[in-house]
Formats: sequence, structure tokens, C-alpha cells
Amino acid sequence: MSKVKLTGAEIIWECLIREGVNVVFGYPGGAILPTYDALGKYSDKVHHVLTRHEQGATHMADGYARSSGKVGVAMATSGPGAANMVTGLATAMMDSIPIVCITGQVPRPAIGSDAFQEMDISGAVIPVTKHSYLVMEIENLARTIKEAFAIARSGRPGPVLVDIPKDLQAEEFDFIYPEEPILLPGENPVISDIDLNSLEQAASLISESKRPVILAGHGILLSGASKEVIELSEKGNIPSSWTLLGSGAVPASHHLNMGMMGMHGEFAANNAIQKADLLIACGMRFDDRVTGNTKTYSLESKKIHIEIDPSEINKNVPVDVALVGDLKLILSKLIPLLKKRQNSSWTDKIEDWRKESQSRDIINMNTEMLYGAQVISDIWKETNGDAIVVSDVGQHQMLEAQYYKHDEPNTLLTSGGLGTMGFSLPAAIGASFSNRDKDIWVIVGDGSIQMTITELATAVQENANIKIAIINNGYLGMVRQWQQLFYDSRYSETPISSPDYVKLSEAYGMKGFRVKSRTEISDTMKEAQNIKGPVLIEFVVEQHDMVYPMVAAGADLDEMISRPVHEQFKDAEM
Amino acid sequence: MKQTLILFMQDEPGVLNRIASLVRRRNFNIDSIVAGRTEKNGITRMTLVVNEPNKAKRKTIYNNLKKLVDVYDVVDASNENCHIREHALVKVSIKPGDFKEIEDLVAKGNCRVLDHEPELMILELSGNEVTVEESIGFLKKFKILELLRSGKMAMISGNQKKNRPVLVRSEPK
Repeated sequence: MSKVKLTGAEIIWECLIREGVNVVFGYPGGAILPTYDALGKYSDKVHHVLTRHEQGATHMADGYARSSGKVGVAMATSGPGAANMVTGLATAMMDSIPIVCITGQVPRPAIGSDAFQEMDISGAVIPVTKHSYLVMEIENLARTIKEAFAIARSGRPGPVLVDIPKDLQAEEFDFIYPEEPILLPGENPVISDIDLNSLEQAASLISESKRPVILAGHGILLSGASKEVIELSEKGNIPSSWTLLGSGAVPASHHLNMGMMGMHGEFAANNAIQKADLLIACGMRFDDRVTGNTKTYSLESKKIHIEIDPSEINKNVPVDVALVGDLKLILSKLIPLLKKRQNSSWTDKIEDWRKESQSRDIINMNTEMLYGAQVISDIWKETNGDAIVVSDVGQHQMLEAQYYKHDEPNTLLTSGGLGTMGFSLPAAIGASFSNRDKDIWVIVGDGSIQMTITELATAVQENANIKIAIINNGYLGMVRQWQQLFYDSRYSETPISSPDYVKLSEAYGMKGFRVKSRTEISDTMKEAQNIKGPVLIEFVVEQHDMVYPMVAAGADLDEMISRPVHEQFKDAEM
Repeated sequence: MKQTLILFMQDEPGVLNRIASLVRRRNFNIDSIVAGRTEKNGITRMTLVVNEPNKAKRKTIYNNLKKLVDVYDVVDASNENCHIREHALVKVSIKPGDFKEIEDLVAKGNCRVLDHEPELMILELSGNEVTVEESIGFLKKFKILELLRSGKMAMISGNQKKNRPVLVRSEPK
């Protein structure tokens, strides 16, 4: 390949384009100026989205990655710009999302001198990235960017940060794109040859089991193994339950799908896990939110753990058989070892549990006030269940998981591991760039929206086709729920005021609606869906509602608090 | 129980930072860390001794270290026949007549005299974890003015394949 003299800044864009990047979310500043200056030459190939905060840029890259399966890219300047990315990197790290963040750094001679806007970002983000780089020689620049992308997508995906000094961005160099494959010392712990012995052990555990349950995690989406998991479930007549990030891995409408597990999981699912004699964990990590008390967690069951990251094996829950590697590959070898079977007594038992909990369901009740659950259930119906939903963190997030029935993988984007409030609006803007034709619904609380509400300007500027449903209960609802249950209803600092969201929408140049009763939902949604571009709907809901069922933190998984049958509902139609 | 891990990693700025960060954030209980250059250019070798009685947690520590991009390989030497060596320098305050007792320690072969002044001595201790510990214990009868320990280095006996590190770069999948 012929040599071309390019600046470091140009090399950055050349490399990004070769990685298939066509959209970058970012915010310019002093130390990244040369790279933004060079952007003009590449603007036909890369669209840059000017965010209103660097945290927003990282969540946009994250939402883009979650909905497209591609690597998301965010860009920022040194110091405060880079520091604002830390929350987004940690969010992506906890949920195994491939993003690459490019930051400017002060010029090399100034590094270490506490120069203006200097901060050791590659050091600061070590705990929240798969890897981080500070590029000190221009000859390493192209290779480093290529490595960053390879690391972000390989094995268990995750975020990578590349810090590039300002003078290096301006330096000229003979650019040759490194065509040869990336070779890294120890990056990739993926084991491709599966241990046959373990595979046979797993198969015989499944065949011998009487009360098996599949735990469907995010790894199914990352591996693209939905088809295999459904096949496993159907062949062995094995009911499944999903983690929050595993939503959509198995269609919600599938007859063997019991719903979400864990703290706000379905009564039937948690009961089944506790009574099971075999758990088949697929791409999940036994997070405390799904296990409850690990000392009493599913004590009667043998456990098979299929997982790409060996450091997750036996971390929280000891397992009997570990299959380490790519889930899709492992299942494709495991399924042929199994015989088709029926096991109706177990699935009948689960069906009984399901019926029991449905009787307390708020969405079937006529209530004076509007309830969050009713709003979400109606959004599900109005969107025919095929929107991409981006939920934030709090009560509405759990209600979304319970009442929006996802039948397709990668249609719920939410911050599960880190629980980052403020995630949804920017993540939805990011997702809109990979899903131009799909409806994208943001389901967000009045607390969460106010954390990153600045990005409304970005949504308007990009005419992002997102519909924002604010479930406004005037409280930091989930915290208030814990205060009510565990802190004697002392609502310390949880009542929160909001701006007038309709006026605010208008101020930003977009349409806003307010809905106070259930009868208005359908019409308002139709009106909103007819508008191409961002729309906001504020749903004013009952302030003191709680998310049920609930397992208190650290309690046994089947020790569930159910919705009490309130006086006001006693005469209501069921 | 102590877990002795031998790490082979890229000799790059920040690599120690990554190990230290991992140790802290995963809450490993570290006994000692020693790192230095090796027979291979560009490869740093570290001996990491961790206090961790739980077997599953020990495996987690191993796997977490192995996950680091800069780390070529990790060998768990805990249950291997291996030589563990540690160095210590001790400055002790002495009185006339104390020297006889210290000479006995020197005669055992685990101690060298680096400085010998009328009122103080600097001693170099070396040996396995037991002998260094014992020598320090013995010296406590004098007034120890300064003490520093190098941390433990480990080398596995023989040349078995399973203990040889993988020092090849591989392609991420």
C-alpha cells in the first residue's frame, strides 16, 4: 500500500472509517481541536452528533451499540470532558457493551505538569474499562485504534478508551493502515474447544432433571443465541426466566417463558428457581439482584453455568458444571446430546403459580388515579409490542420489565448492572441512528429525565425519532419505596419537583403532551407517533405506588412481598 | 492459606497500575508483590502472594488477573514444588556483647552483616518465607531501628509443560 502523509487527527478518522464507524457522538474542546478540525474532510463518511454533555455522548454510543451490535464511538476533550465520560464507561463495562471513547490529552511535553485541563484519564478509567491507552508515539496511533476496536468487541465485550495528546494529533506521519491481524498478549480468554466431558455431564444432568429452569441472560443477546436457547427450552420442555438484560432473549409470549427473575421478578419464576432441581444459566452472572440471599438460593438444584468469562464461574454461586466459551457454539453442541421430552407436572405447577399472581395485577383494575404499570402496559399495546424501548433506572424500569412484553432480542435497552439514572434519553438518541425506521420509546421517571434532560436539545437538533414517556410520580420513586418499606416512611429528600414538561418541550422546539387519565393514553400516543422526530409525553401517575412483587435486598428469593389488596380496589372490577 | 501467583506481563507503562487497581477493586488481600525484568525482552514477571482461604475465590483471582489485556499468562504456584525467596534489610541497635548472638544467626547462613558499627548493625536476611520470618523474630530481642522486606519471589522447580507460561500473542475472537 502506498504511503500517504497524514496528520494524527486524519489518521484517527481514517481508522474510525475503516472500523465501519459512520456516526460519532462527541463534544469538542481544546485538546481535541485538531481532530475536530480534520472532521470537515470526512463529513461525507462520518456524521458527528454534537451532544450537550460528554456523559450523554457515552450513553449515545452505548445505546447505538446495544441496538445495532456494532461498536459505538464517543469523543471528548481532555480533563473535564474526559472525566464526564467515566459514568458512561462504567455503565458500558457493567453491561458488557462495546464502545470506544477517544479523548484529547494535553500536548506530550505538558503531560505531568498539571497543565490546563490535564487529567490522567487513561489511568482513571482502568477500573471501568476493558482496557485504556495513552498514545505517546504517532507510529502507534493506527495500531492502537485498531486494537481498541478489537478489544471492545472480542470475548465478553466492553468499553475501551484511547487518549491522544493534542500535539500528536497535529503531527504528520506516513500513514499505513495495519492490515495484519491484531495480536494481543492476554486479551482473549475465550476457549473455543469445549470440554467434551463437561458437555456430556451437562447433557446427563439435563436428562435426569425433573424440575429444570433456564436462566436467560444478556449473554444470549451478545452471542446471538436466542434460537438455540428456545430450542433447548422446547426440546427439554424446560421453562425459562430472564434477567433484566436478558429481556427478549426468549420471546415474552413463549409458552415456556415465565418472565423476569429476581428482586422484582415474577412470583412463578422466583418460586420455580427456588424449587428447581436444575438451573441452566445461560450468559448471566448471578447478580445479587437476581439471586437474593445466596446462602438460600436454589438449594436443591444442580447448576450448569454456560458463560464466556471464566472469572464469572463460581463467583457468586457455586456451580456443578461450567461450560466456558461462546454460548451459541456450546448450545449447538449440547442440544444434539439431548432427547426430546415432556414433563408436564413441573410446567403445570408453574402454571398454577402464574395464575395465583395475576389476580393482584394492577393493570386489570379500574383506578381513580393513573398507575405507572397501566401506562406501560398501554404503551406496549399501542406499539404492538415491537418498539425499541429504552428505560431508565427506577420504578418505571421495573414496571417496563414487567409490563412491556419483548418478543425480540435487543429491543430493551437499559442500564442494568450500574443502574445509571439519566441513561435513557441519550441512549435512545444513540439507538435512533441504527434504527431509523423503528419506533423508539423512552420510558423514564421524573427523577431520571432531569439528570440528562439537556440532551433534549440534541434530540431536536438531530430530529431523532424518539418518543419520551415520562412517568411522573413526583418522587424518586424507587428510593421512596425503600424508605416506605425499610426506613419507616421517612421520605428524606425523595419528593422532587419538575419543570412544566409541556412548556419545556416547546422551549426546546418539540411537541409535548400531558396525560392524566387512562382514557387519554391511546389518542395521545397515536398523535405522538404521527410526528416524525422527538415528542415528549408526561404521564402524571399515582404518587405512592410501589413495584410488586419485591424481594428485599438480601432476603430469600421466594420471600416475596406481594401487592396488598387495597381497600379502594375491593369493590373495583377485577 | 496463601496463594502464590506468577504473572507474565507486557513491560509497559501502567501495567503495575492495572494490577494494583484490580487487586484493590476486587478486594484481594495481598501479602506481597514483587516485579522485575526477565530473560525475555519486553516481559515483566511478577510474584503475587494473596491471603485467600476460599478455593473458589482463589480461582476467581486467577481468572481476573488473566483477563487483563497486558497479562500474557498467570501460573498458580500454590500447590507446586517451588522455591520462594525473600530479602530483608534490618538495622538494629546493639550493645557490646550482643554481637555474639547475631554471629550465631550469621553462622546459620541466612544473614549477612552489611554494616557493623559500635552501636548498630545493618543485616541482610534472605531465605524462604519461614527463615526470613524466623530471623526477624529472633532480631526482635534487639531494638529494630528500620526493617524492610522485598516481598516474595517464586520459581517452580523442574521444567514441566503445565507450569510454562504461554508467552504468545493471540488474536482476539
